[in-house]
Amino acid sequence: MDILFFIFLSSGLFLGWSLGANDAANIFGTAVGSKMLRFKTAALVSCLFIIIGAVFSGGGASATLNELGRVNAIAGAFMVALAAALTVYWMVSSGLLVSTSQAIVGGIIGWNLYSGYDTDLSILSTIVSSWVLCPLLSGIIAVLTYFAVRKILHLTHIHLLRQDSYLRCGLIIIAAFGGYALGANNIANVMGVFVDSSPFQSIYFHGFYFSNSQMLFLLGAIAICVGIFTYSQKTIKTVGNNLMSMTPTIAWIIVFSQSLVLFLFASQGLKNFLSSYGLPSLPLVPVSSSQAVIGAIIGIGLAKGGRDISWHIVGKIFIGWIATPLISAAICFISLFFLENVFQQKVYM
Amino acid sequence: MFGIKISLFSSAKTLETKIDSFHDKVIDAAMTFHKSISIYLEEGRSEDFKKNNKQLRQIEHDADQLRRDIENRLYAQNLIPDLRADVLELVENLDKVINRFDEVSYQFYIERPEIPSIYHARILTLVGQVTECAENMSIASRSFFRNFSSVRDFSQKVYFLEHETDLSSGHLKESIFDSDMPLANKLQLSTLLDEIENIADLAEDCVDELLIFTIKRDI
Repeated sequence: MDILFFIFLSSGLFLGWSLGANDAANIFGTAVGSKMLRFKTAALVSCLFIIIGAVFSGGGASATLNELGRVNAIAGAFMVALAAALTVYWMVSSGLLVSTSQAIVGGIIGWNLYSGYDTDLSILSTIVSSWVLCPLLSGIIAVLTYFAVRKILHLTHIHLLRQDSYLRCGLIIIAAFGGYALGANNIANVMGVFVDSSPFQSIYFHGFYFSNSQMLFLLGAIAICVGIFTYSQKTIKTVGNNLMSMTPTIAWIIVFSQSLVLFLFASQGLKNFLSSYGLPSLPLVPVSSSQAVIGAIIGIGLAKGGRDISWHIVGKIFIGWIATPLISAAICFISLFFLENVFQQKVYM
Repeated sequence: MFGIKISLFSSAKTLETKIDSFHDKVIDAAMTFHKSISIYLEEGRSEDFKKNNKQLRQIEHDADQLRRDIENRLYAQNLIPDLRADVLELVENLDKVINRFDEVSYQFYIERPEIPSIYHARILTLVGQVTECAENMSIASRSFFRNFSSVRDFSQKVYFLEHETDLSSGHLKESIFDSDMPLANKLQLSTLLDEIENIADLAEDCVDELLIFTIKRDI
């Protein structure tokens, strides 16, 4: 295996690291911030399930990205991931809400434009509509769960201390589910573009079959976990107390809604199950966990009778939907030109 | 992890029992106080009264120990981190009421006020209102832990009873100062009535805070 492959893969691994550093706060930020769970416990459980989710369920969303653009040269894949990473970095430092999913889609479109491959507009419209659907669906799930939990708490009269114990168990379970859903859905952002140029061979290991893309996803998931352990504690301290100043029960509902939405947009099994009964199913598309969280927060705010929705944040999400893919596509297009003509790298086949 | 969960549930269960026992102490203190004053009015500083006073002191002492234990466990075991400060304040407020019952009863023991029999029934009514007020405060506080939707109902009773104690105490003081008793006795009785009435005020303050804690506790 070529060392050059790992150098090119570094942009994807960096994207994975930043995903772990930023998005872990969405899964267990409040639980750790409110001292309901220890950071190590939450991080360990999440990481384990991120790896499981990425390796065993990451294929669906990744396949959709590949349908949008088959990035068939490793140097091209490197630049798509790097353009996405640079866009995320720039937008985060500008205070805009950004999603790696949108950045990577922009990067792929930039590669399509540069290489002259057609962009499948029906796939693109499916992906874009899922970005809008993601916070909406998360908000609806959060509202329904909020009313259900409230009703249960009012009817069951569970002692406050016992509620606390149940909630801690619930937060551990949701850290696992959230990790699984994040791994399954967002691994496509990190490693999806490298699938077609992966040099790995499929292997059998103790009766288990691992495809080359699964090994790639394992590397990506490890990068996410490194991001969680090395940097997410800082993100939790910064973001956790501002955006997520809420009760642990509300935090649980928000993480549950966010994780369920990510799972719905990633589960091949569920899609097959619904399709087998002729029921409509959601497309397998990488979506933004941060936007799902914001959708859930706004939903609960509305359910609690809050009239002052932060239109400022809604506006930032809207700008993100348009600006992130555009910036990423532009960076990718220009960088591919330099990579091909200055560094003499083959960026497409 | 299974072991951690078991220990989490068992420590929660132990603390749950201690909080329940603490609420029992508030009701015990109220009932014992009521009994003490009735005995004093009937028999003065009799052996029975002394025995009852000692019992009240023991309840206060036990409640203090329970309060300290609850506080230690809440912090040491890192339970309900988001509501811990509220629960501690609530327990402190309940403890103040228990202390007050003990102090007022002890004041009767020390000062040995002379109370004309025409006032006995009305003083007992006032004491009855105060103890009922404290009991309802304790029930409201217990509800905060299990069924917080009924905190408001019991709090309303506390407000009503506190108002009643104000009226009863005011009327009683008026008739005392209208009587031919020596001024020193009048002032002594008036101070003692204030002390009794203050217990209802403490219960009201406790319930005021409890209602705020309940709003915070509601998801």
